[in-house]
Amino acid sequence: MNILAIETTGAEASVAIINDKGEVFMEASDQKLNHLQNLMPMVDILLEKRGLSIDDVDYIAVSEGPGSFTGIRIGVSSARALAQALVLKTISVPTLKTFLYNVPEYQGILCPIFDARRSQVYGGAYRWSDTGQHTEIVPGGAYDLQELLKLLEAVLKPEMEITFFGDGIHPYKEQIMKWQDISLNNNICVLFAKDDVKLQKASSVAKLALDIYRSGKIKNLYDLKPVYMRKAEAERKLEENAE
Amino acid sequence: MKDKQFITLGIESSCDETSAAVIGEGRTVLSNVIASQIKVHQVFGGVVPEIASRHHLDNINTVIDNALTEAGISLKDVDLIGVTYGPGLVGALLIGLATAKSLAYALKKPLVGVHHIQGHISANYIEHKELKPPFMALVVSGGHTNIVDVTDYNRYEVLGRTRDDAAGEAFDKVARVLGLGYPGGPLIDEAAKTGNAHAVEFKRVFLEKDSLDFSFSGIKTGVLNHLNTQKLKGETVNVNDIAASFQLAVIEVIVAKAVMAAQRMKKDKIALAGGVAANSLLRKLLKEACDQKGIALHYPSPILCTDNAAMIGCAAYYKYQEGMADDFYLDAYPNLAL
Repeated sequence: MNILAIETTGAEASVAIINDKGEVFMEASDQKLNHLQNLMPMVDILLEKRGLSIDDVDYIAVSEGPGSFTGIRIGVSSARALAQALVLKTISVPTLKTFLYNVPEYQGILCPIFDARRSQVYGGAYRWSDTGQHTEIVPGGAYDLQELLKLLEAVLKPEMEITFFGDGIHPYKEQIMKWQDISLNNNICVLFAKDDVKLQKASSVAKLALDIYRSGKIKNLYDLKPVYMRKAEAERKLEENAE
Repeated sequence: MKDKQFITLGIESSCDETSAAVIGEGRTVLSNVIASQIKVHQVFGGVVPEIASRHHLDNINTVIDNALTEAGISLKDVDLIGVTYGPGLVGALLIGLATAKSLAYALKKPLVGVHHIQGHISANYIEHKELKPPFMALVVSGGHTNIVDVTDYNRYEVLGRTRDDAAGEAFDKVARVLGLGYPGGPLIDEAAKTGNAHAVEFKRVFLEKDSLDFSFSGIKTGVLNHLNTQKLKGETVNVNDIAASFQLAVIEVIVAKAVMAAQRMKKDKIALAGGVAANSLLRKLLKEACDQKGIALHYPSPILCTDNAAMIGCAAYYKYQEGMADDFYLDAYPNLAL
């Protein structure tokens, strides 16, 4: 059993394949934001390196979002079309939660944040439980950064450690450090993820996809939907004006 | 039966229509399914790119399924996949492209990227089975106003283009200021039928002598100025008269230049294409002008004038016949030149 996983929600795209033993192989693009162009060739290179063909793939998994709207759509439409052509089922993988697999040994709280502009982030908070289960601390969503930090404050207990991930670190690092100084008990350690685990990775998408597969939550391709977490700007404005 | 035909699956998503079509042997439409988003965008008064992209993604796989079912085939029967790769809205284009590339890769079938305008021109091959290049093409739509010298199936030279607004864009903008709604083309066409086309003589913009280029931003301003003047004078505006006068001013220029181009390049055929090709006055005046000069006029039925995948499948077929297949690095080009 092989699951092909697609990750295109961030600046760098990657694809990975995982088998039922949990062995995972990844191919990543070094070109930023050229996902449409590179995705299929990358899949081809990945399969070829593993001595596999696309016909050896049994499920198509995709990082559903949040992230770049365009990136999400490239991933989801590619995943759907692959499933359509190969008559396969799909696995929809929540992007924020995949960061758990970027740091599988980590004991602290993970807080992935993606820059959503307008002082907002797409973010959530998760941790590995003592028994190796995924625990959701703050559900994924679009938050004002300060709102998200308040939610974290409410759940953080002394001696805890929290690490921020994602492309939201860059624009919001200063604000987060200020928050640490002002709002938090000094016993709480605030960290920022190292470069090699900071961003979305298809290998983590594949690992979470395997969990989802094992829990039986596979989908037909028509139910595979992008998770934008935000309305289109024009829609939002229209609703504002109507109010 | 059908497995004897060469089958092309066409996919189009460059603006606000999600379409998939199955074409047999280049010119036979076995299905042509179009999911229009007009109603979705009407409330915004024009196409909103982000919303268009979202709807393309929601619809595309079902549109493809429906096209296959209607044609009585399955994906395994497809020999070639053709897809619009530009010009258009980039976010919209990439839904069709990502889908087409994934299908082609998984099915191990050749992939051909099609220029949207080449698609519009090819709609004429579907409608007129005997039509072959060379001819002069006039492509008029919401995004394009081009006079194209078609010397062969895959050889084109753009002789004239708009320097500002496309003709269809001008229709949309004028329809908006006249309070007619969106999309403007058919609404102005309808309003003009009961209006006096000589009520206001808007300036016909021919640009430099012998130029085959267009400019439609001036006439839009002309309409606005006229409306303001009327308003200041406290006179009531006859919307139908203005629609008719505006339409005639635009179409007279288009017709004159298309005929001039055909005569200059010694072409005895003109093929009309694009969404505005459905405009009744354009068809009538162009037909009259062509008859006068002994030029044969071809145009597709309205369903093939709008953005559709049948025309893309047809164009892909002729590109593939000449060995013009693309690899899986095919990208979207929002400003692709012909």
